[in-house]
Amino acid sequence: MLRLGDRAETRRRRKHFHGSETMKALKKALLVAGACLLSASAAEAGTVRVTIAEYSKGTGPYFEDAAKAFEAANPGTKIQIEVVPWDNLQQKLTTDIAAGANADLSIIGTRWLLDYVSQGVVAPLDSYVTPDFKARFIPTFLTPSIMNGHVYGLPIAASARAMYYNNDIFKKAGYDSAPATWADFKTAAEKIKATGGGVFPFGMQGKEIETDVYFYYAMWSYGGDIVKDGKSGLDSQAAIEAAKLYKSFIDGGLTEPGVTSYNREDVQNLFKQGKVATVITAPFLSGQIKKEAPNLNYAVAPIPAGPTGDQGTYGVTDSIVLFANSKVKDEAWKFLDFLFTTDQRTKFDKVEGFLPVNAEEAKNPIFADDRDLKVFASLLPKARFAPVIPGWEDIAQTTTNALQKIYLGQGQIEPTLKEAAAKIDETLSKK
Amino acid sequence: MTRAFTPYILILPSFLLAAAIVLWPVEEIVSLATHDVNRFGMLRDFVGLANFRSLLADPDFWTSLWRTLIWTAGVVLGTLIVSMPIALILNEDFYGRGLARILIMLPWAVSLAMTAVVWRWALNGESGMLNSALRDLGLMDHNIQWLAQASTAFPMQILIGVLVSIPFTVTIFLGGLSSVPDDLYDAAAIEGAGRWDQFRLITFPLLRPFINIAFVLNTIYVFNSFPIIWATTQGGPANSTDILVTYLYKLGFRVGRLGDAAAVSLIMFAILLAFTILYVRLAMREEAAA
Repeated sequence: MLRLGDRAETRRRRKHFHGSETMKALKKALLVAGACLLSASAAEAGTVRVTIAEYSKGTGPYFEDAAKAFEAANPGTKIQIEVVPWDNLQQKLTTDIAAGANADLSIIGTRWLLDYVSQGVVAPLDSYVTPDFKARFIPTFLTPSIMNGHVYGLPIAASARAMYYNNDIFKKAGYDSAPATWADFKTAAEKIKATGGGVFPFGMQGKEIETDVYFYYAMWSYGGDIVKDGKSGLDSQAAIEAAKLYKSFIDGGLTEPGVTSYNREDVQNLFKQGKVATVITAPFLSGQIKKEAPNLNYAVAPIPAGPTGDQGTYGVTDSIVLFANSKVKDEAWKFLDFLFTTDQRTKFDKVEGFLPVNAEEAKNPIFADDRDLKVFASLLPKARFAPVIPGWEDIAQTTTNALQKIYLGQGQIEPTLKEAAAKIDETLSKK
Repeated sequence: MTRAFTPYILILPSFLLAAAIVLWPVEEIVSLATHDVNRFGMLRDFVGLANFRSLLADPDFWTSLWRTLIWTAGVVLGTLIVSMPIALILNEDFYGRGLARILIMLPWAVSLAMTAVVWRWALNGESGMLNSALRDLGLMDHNIQWLAQASTAFPMQILIGVLVSIPFTVTIFLGGLSSVPDDLYDAAAIEGAGRWDQFRLITFPLLRPFINIAFVLNTIYVFNSFPIIWATTQGGPANSTDILVTYLYKLGFRVGRLGDAAAVSLIMFAILLAFTILYVRLAMREEAAA
């Protein structure tokens, strides 16, 4: 692990390698121009550059407004917002950091944070975080951003997962509420299939980001873990049972056909069109349904439980971090402080449909009395967060590949999972 | 003495420019490929060829390499075969030729990524245009999940690749055809040559240099082409439609192994360089012989 003190050493080596300052300047200029024209203007004193992931069309306007409000209250400090599509965020940050042209603040997936901390790229916020400030947060959401006892980020966005189900379809099959266990769900799915009408009972995701997580829902219900004692849990009995369960849904025609061609948005769209009876996803689907399919009669329920009553939901936070090379740390912190006031948080979470991270904000009737959000909030005590391990994306990709092979019938369940687990163990053992 | 130096001084500015935009990045990539690099591009220890070794030990690299060759050959040959008759037809004088030419060229104006996204929608299993069109025509009675497995996804991707390469190739061919003098055909007709003989003995030989150019340029573009495969399947399911560029992207920006990714791009560079040199050599030898 590279600690903060080693950064000078890193810098020395880089400098040594690139030979001269001119070369370095040239490299910087070219890389920045290539990476993003916006960031080409060098940070002047009092300007805080913020990289923002675009969650929806409302993200950019919200942050522009917040920046304006902040500038009005803090003359002399300028906030420069750079909005990046979520899919390109990792790539942009990598290029920017490599060129030393990164912003002062950035949103990152909390599951990447360990990589950033171990490379000394982000600065600890401990000197700024007062007990009062800490008390603003619901502890569940702040915890994932704390590493080795230091706060390295603040949870800018929080979400959990639950099962959306189509009331009309379930009613037609004789159900008034969502089934509580996977066994019940499978019986219900058979009945829904029997009622015909071209509706697929279980909307299953089999492609792109979070295909692995879609599988973990079932794996957690069977009592499994992503990583246990430093080893992958993908070859555990729980994982095998979960894979068998999903495969039986696919083979029984209880999912949409060709699951490996459906990513998260595709399955959500099928749900909005009434073509699948269920989908497991995040709170933001409620907002989309309100706008795009207002007549859809749906409800939200916990993800079905396994045979032993185990039940899991995925808790996710994105963190906003302060880069170690920022020259305007104090100003940047002031802006963070402003973003995490109850007022600002309420505005942001309303725009995006995220869960409140601020305890005061959660009491607001907009969130406390929302039919769907209540279900999500009730699941939080059982929520599992991405484990703090290096190489999360590497592991996600290995898992997704193994699952796709199983879903397509190109690999036997046990050997495919065992092979993937061995590969993940190798990733986990590196550094 | 001055005479000997003058040419070098004259080409120096363009050489420096070329060096700045070609050689310098290559030097940077070589340094990435031969070092232990963290995910933010910071160089650590020099590791020599270790990155290449780990790459060569990865079965996904070999399958991607093999698939890249199929992809390139499929798209380039498909494009040349389809473009030739289109160019011949557009070279004929007929009513509405101008409009027909514009229609063939139009797809060129749409960005490749956009075209690929549209195709991704068209190939959607439940609500895609292709399935509903085939069903309406009565050609099939159940939906095909085009992108769910490589056996249907990859041929479709090659097809899309051919479609988007046609405008460029047809343009080159049309340029070539306009340089063939008409009196050659008149003379051939008088000698009793039919249309097929005219094509075989006059058009095709005279078009050879243009076909060569279209072949080399298309190969270079297609070998490196990222958007079609990325937008439709991201190289999935289970890496079964990965070509080297998509494999490289995942390696570099998803997994964060920048050193390995740099090694892949050097290998790609070497393959293309070798191909181009070989091809130019062959073409030149042929021309000298002819």
